[in-house]
Amino acid sequence: MKLTHEDKILLYRNMLRGRKYDEALTKMFNKGQVPGMWHSGIGHEAVGAGVATFLRQDDWLEVTHRGITHGLAKGLDARMWLAEHLGRVGGYAKGKGGHHCADREHGILIGGGTIGSCFPIAAGAGLAAKRLGKDQIVVCLFGDGAAQRATLHSCMNLAGVWNLPIVWVCENNLYSITTHVKNAIAAENIADLAHSYNMPGEIVDGQDVLMVTEVVMDAVERARNGKGPSLIECKTYRFREHGEGEIPTPYRTREEVKEWKKRDPIKLFRYLLLDEGVVTEEDLNAIGTKLDKEVAETVDWAIESPMPALEEAFTDIYVE
Amino acid sequence: MPEINMRQALNQALREELLHDPTVHIWGENVEGVGGGFLITMGLSNEFGERVKDSPLAETAIVGAAVGAAYCGLRPVVELMFADFTYICMDEIVNKMAKVRYSFGAYNDVKLPIVVRMKVGGYFAQSSEHSQTPLAHFMHTPGLKLVFPTTPYEAKGLLKTAIRDDNPVLFFEHIIHFAAKGEVPEEEYFIPFEEANIRREGSDVTVVAIGYMVDLALEAAEELAKEGVSLEVIDPRTLEPLDMDTIMGSIEKTGRVVVVDEDVTRCGIPAEILMQIFEQLTEAGKTPVPMARVGAANTPIPYSPELEKAVLPSADKIIEAVKKVLV
Repeated sequence: MKLTHEDKILLYRNMLRGRKYDEALTKMFNKGQVPGMWHSGIGHEAVGAGVATFLRQDDWLEVTHRGITHGLAKGLDARMWLAEHLGRVGGYAKGKGGHHCADREHGILIGGGTIGSCFPIAAGAGLAAKRLGKDQIVVCLFGDGAAQRATLHSCMNLAGVWNLPIVWVCENNLYSITTHVKNAIAAENIADLAHSYNMPGEIVDGQDVLMVTEVVMDAVERARNGKGPSLIECKTYRFREHGEGEIPTPYRTREEVKEWKKRDPIKLFRYLLLDEGVVTEEDLNAIGTKLDKEVAETVDWAIESPMPALEEAFTDIYVE
Repeated sequence: MPEINMRQALNQALREELLHDPTVHIWGENVEGVGGGFLITMGLSNEFGERVKDSPLAETAIVGAAVGAAYCGLRPVVELMFADFTYICMDEIVNKMAKVRYSFGAYNDVKLPIVVRMKVGGYFAQSSEHSQTPLAHFMHTPGLKLVFPTTPYEAKGLLKTAIRDDNPVLFFEHIIHFAAKGEVPEEEYFIPFEEANIRREGSDVTVVAIGYMVDLALEAAEELAKEGVSLEVIDPRTLEPLDMDTIMGSIEKTGRVVVVDEDVTRCGIPAEILMQIFEQLTEAGKTPVPMARVGAANTPIPYSPELEKAVLPSADKIIEAVKKVLV
């Protein structure tokens, strides 16, 4: 797809918006305001914005536990997302779901705590999209950890056999918690698996939002035109630890983290936009200031959202 | 009323629901053409095309895709060849299907209309991985409904109710029942959940039996009648929701109860039902009644027929249990 100036500014905003919400929740977690856990996706923003910004509202997106930029760019309500993390009644599942959010209205599928369970869900969404005939497509995000599960094989195979409209997008950030991908996946690249399922496989610089957008949206068009699934591997990096509150163990070097941080996807894109003369420093700063205000208001709203009444624990198990 | 077997009754229910609702879709291993491992979907793919579809041999994909598809607007009715294969896709059933509404869908009022049909049961020399009746795991899991018909009439009426239900339903079909015949009306009908069926009225001992155990309990009742002992045989038909009122009503009359299940006895469904009976009686200030359970031994199910018989419940074992509570 050909991106206009406005599109590029929207991509920048969506990356920065994800980053700012991520930072806000990270801060709240470290102040002890989050009862459960938080997996920061800082470093993954180019994938998030590139994948989700230009999907249709009725397209389906499966996000990982590091998928806040992705979800927000797809239309996830930030207030409900944050309230859910805080266990408040204003959250998506009235505080009963926690750090995995789904939003059917905005096409966000069921996440989950069992890594690799994303593949069957996305396969089913792809089947529904195909059978209901409304030209919807599915984008399924997963990490290099999920790529180690057998569910990948069964569902990429199913999607291939049934020619389902699914774009499988791997966010390979090199580590499943502390295990390096080289010690966990035999293939040189995760994208190489595509050949086994008779679909195209591409490797993308996951820190380059324009490249992610271009390659993903090409695959989206392919899926929408009935040409079946694709696999895209985005090489990216997690800047923080697997979960907040975890003490870094020596599974990766400080130098490695420092090197990757030089390729901060937001900074890279900011330089590019300024270089192209698309926007001025002031324009970009104004976007940031506006987002800061939005995030602050969202945090206030979520904190003010009441805790669920105890009866809530006993509802929503069955449809009556 | 025409007499048909349970296979045909299930096939009728599926066909009627495929005609009734275009979002009903069937998939599973070999469901096209001959109609799956047990011929239940025979002929449906000819009539409904893509809506009745062979899947790869991949239970996680079959059942997990049902969760995703139901979330996105289909009403999947998927088939697992054997209930033993639920163990392959426990994550999809227990962590997803059962929990989506509660953990992800409270705000959007997410409904997950899914039926997973599967063959259960032993007595057919199919060894340890094709003979189990693993309902207890799923009765233990909040968020699922469990249905286990025992006659062709019930199979059709309960399957139609299951498909129209907006919750995930696990639907169990016993191998011995597939060929058994019974009267089934040609017109449409539904059997509601949480409505136990009193299969034989009696006055001395209540026997609650699940699935094929109903047949064995009726056999035991026939035998004991010769000795002047009268059994009341109750088939709950759905384990979740469970019609405890009918069971309690019967116990009120008989004052004794035996619960029979084909699954391993330890941590089984009879233990749960008996405890519920005990609690209801004591909470109402009544004296607990004599109770017993019958189930399979705590072993894998052996292949050799005589060994299998030794492990699984039988009419004789039910008679033995009845005699214990009669004392």
